[in-house]
Amino acid sequence: MSACTPKSLASSGQKPIQEMCHPLGAEEAVLTPSPDVRNITSSIGEKDQILPNGTPVETSSPSSSSSLLNRLQLDDDLDGETRDLFVTVDDPKKHVSTMETYITYRVVTKTTRVEFDLPEYTVRRRYQDFDWLRTKLEDSQPTHLIPPLPEKFVMKGVVDRFSEEFVETRRKALDKFLKRVADHPVLSFNEHLNSFLSAKDLNKRQGLALLSKMGESVKYVTGGYKLRGRPVEFSAMGDYLDMFTQKLGTIDRIAQRIIKEQSEYQVELREYGPVYTTWALSEAELQGPLEGVASCMANCSSALDELTQDMSEDFLPVLREYVLYIESMKIVLKKRDNIQAEYEAKLEAAAFRKEEKASCTQVPTDVEKCHDRVECCNADLKSDWDRWQNNKRQDFRQLLTGMADHNIQYYEKCLAAWESVIPLLRDKQPQETETEED
Amino acid sequence: MMADSGPKEVAVIGNTELTSAELDNNIKNTMVEIEKGTSLLRKLEISVAEAEKRTGKNTVNMQEIYTVYLIETRPVDALTEGITPDSLWRRYSEFELLRNYLLVTYPFVVVAPLPEKRAEIVWHKLSADNMDPDFVERRRVGLENFLHRVASHPVLCNDNIFNIFLTEDKDWKEMVYETGFQAKADSRLKAVNAAFRVKNPDGRFTELKHYSDELQTVLSQLLRVRARVADRLYGVYKVHGNYGRVFSEWSAIEKEMGDGLQSAGHHMDAYAASVDDILEEEEHYADQLKEYLFYTDALRAVCRKHELTQFELEMVALDLACKKQQKEELVTGTVRTFSLKGMTSKLFGQETAEQREAKLQVLEQQLKEGEEAVKEKNTESDEFVKTAWVDIERFKDQKDRDLKEALISYAVMQISMCKKGIQVWTNAKECFNKM
Repeated sequence: MSACTPKSLASSGQKPIQEMCHPLGAEEAVLTPSPDVRNITSSIGEKDQILPNGTPVETSSPSSSSSLLNRLQLDDDLDGETRDLFVTVDDPKKHVSTMETYITYRVVTKTTRVEFDLPEYTVRRRYQDFDWLRTKLEDSQPTHLIPPLPEKFVMKGVVDRFSEEFVETRRKALDKFLKRVADHPVLSFNEHLNSFLSAKDLNKRQGLALLSKMGESVKYVTGGYKLRGRPVEFSAMGDYLDMFTQKLGTIDRIAQRIIKEQSEYQVELREYGPVYTTWALSEAELQGPLEGVASCMANCSSALDELTQDMSEDFLPVLREYVLYIESMKIVLKKRDNIQAEYEAKLEAAAFRKEEKASCTQVPTDVEKCHDRVECCNADLKSDWDRWQNNKRQDFRQLLTGMADHNIQYYEKCLAAWESVIPLLRDKQPQETETEED
Repeated sequence: MMADSGPKEVAVIGNTELTSAELDNNIKNTMVEIEKGTSLLRKLEISVAEAEKRTGKNTVNMQEIYTVYLIETRPVDALTEGITPDSLWRRYSEFELLRNYLLVTYPFVVVAPLPEKRAEIVWHKLSADNMDPDFVERRRVGLENFLHRVASHPVLCNDNIFNIFLTEDKDWKEMVYETGFQAKADSRLKAVNAAFRVKNPDGRFTELKHYSDELQTVLSQLLRVRARVADRLYGVYKVHGNYGRVFSEWSAIEKEMGDGLQSAGHHMDAYAASVDDILEEEEHYADQLKEYLFYTDALRAVCRKHELTQFELEMVALDLACKKQQKEELVTGTVRTFSLKGMTSKLFGQETAEQREAKLQVLEQQLKEGEEAVKEKNTESDEFVKTAWVDIERFKDQKDRDLKEALISYAVMQISMCKKGIQVWTNAKECFNKM
């Protein structure tokens, strides 16, 4: 095992990179989680990279298409057949202390991975902890797409941070976040994730090192380099993300409009039913039927209420969270662009120097490093992109079928109500004569 | 004689004047006809087949556009199946004239209402324009319904004016006016006056008046709220059409998800479009309710007639009582109550025996006439109450039947709407699953 660092990119599967300290991950070794967690630096730095399903990764040169293909194929496995890490976020609880009030969530882990000492863990974490984890992941895996967290800040006056709906929406988003991380072939092996899932108390030392780390991250986002030629596939990704964001925005607006229209419809319905009850009071023969109709409408009204609520709670938050996911993806694309730009700049500088010093025949090592970084980044991005696309497809399939289900349930409830009223209406009619009808 | 009755009370009403004997007969026939079901409708097929626009000069000699309706009639007979029906054109105002005639001539009948003259209480998508083809069509249906109601009424179906209305357009208007029904119409003022001052109206009529007021209030409210509900429902469905468009746009940037999204979008479009038919059908339900809303006017008219008749009876009876008292005073020479006569006799001395005798004779005559009047009014009132109540019971049964049917078909409509909704969303779900 390389003495350097456990932080090298597990996804690369290339020997040279593996033994190299990752430029962005170098200082990670200093910050370790709390003492009662054993050293779990074992797997990641190993020469023979083992991927989740136990197959060793081909450790040939970065440009080897077969290794890339291998990685992509193995990463495709989303059915959970070979999944060995299961996480759940549930059971939100309110904690009141002298200083503050906050919510914690129970995080349950079940795993057969050797990186974990026990097969099961149950810990309590608050939003801050998730935020810490995400930052750690971003810093240690800068070329990977880290799933987004639900919004951190909420306007205290506008939203009740402790209301059931808000807490539940947040819980679902946190659960989703953790599951996405756990399903990621690289991120799931991150030591910080391990601590997060297993440590009793998270020691989140936010030292200077971290700040400088963030500085590096920021550098890669803003970048000082100009990009020459972005490969077409990455441009296409960027374009797609822009258009997709637009569509999601439109869908969000439509969904909100529908909820509004349904609420207004609901208001009128709630006035409509009682009029039949009032009418029933002046009638004799018609009293029963009219009251039946009135109660039927009350049932339809409450069914509509449920539909509106379900859409507000299940549909809209998930849709909005996807916008955050897209933003994360865009940032990763930007980082990639900057890494490529840096490489191009260095290459150009080296070529220039080469002209001047004709003796230099070797390509300088730092340029090579940059080149490898670029290749590595591109590969990671592509595999993450494919995963992201797959997740997106599944997520939206689930979201939209959920919407269809809610609507179907609404209509089924109304149907049942009206069908039950028919025999009541038909009752006591001695003969079905064809009277004058309009 | 009553102070406020005039010679118009005894006007002849053409050839449709009903003596009390004929009235009795009619009632007997009514019962028979209800049992045998031999109303006009059984013998004659009546329909308001078409509507057309005409232009012409109106009463103030100005150009106007109006709509005419084609009335077709054909005897119900297996042999006449293929024969073209008799037909004539009538405009709305002629229907109104016919109805007014019937109201005045048969005040004890709850006469079916006409459809709206102007579109009121409509939800916003429906035009309130009288010339709008949908409005004209609904009116056509309403007019046909009116004719059916009259033709199936045991008393009204025999009316000559009505029968001619259906079959001959020449000079029908003149004929109606000749009946002099307009003169027979009770003035509104008289009716209001009677309503206030009547002492002992039949309790059932008071109750009926109360009921018709309640029914009018509740049906108006129901129709108003229903229109608002329809408006809102329209909004909900139509916004879903936006999903259709955005899914289509989205599918263009997707690879595997594209087909599923595209077809789901089509289902959303279909869903949005389906609301037009749903609400059109519901309009039919609204029209059924409206008919009974307008029927409340007819109910109140019958109650008013009763109050008037009763009031007239009370007035005549009061007058008789007055005269009796006068006679008594004259005979016994005592003055019970203050009277001008008493005063003047005190002031100017008693009358002579001849004078008194003359007065007595006049009084006797007046008493006799008065008693006749009371007897007549009594009979009139009793007859009215009897015949009116028969028709009111008929109306009540009709109302219960019709409204129950209306509620049933409304429920059926709702069920169909729910089933369609389930269908569309199930289809959409299938498409989503294929994404």
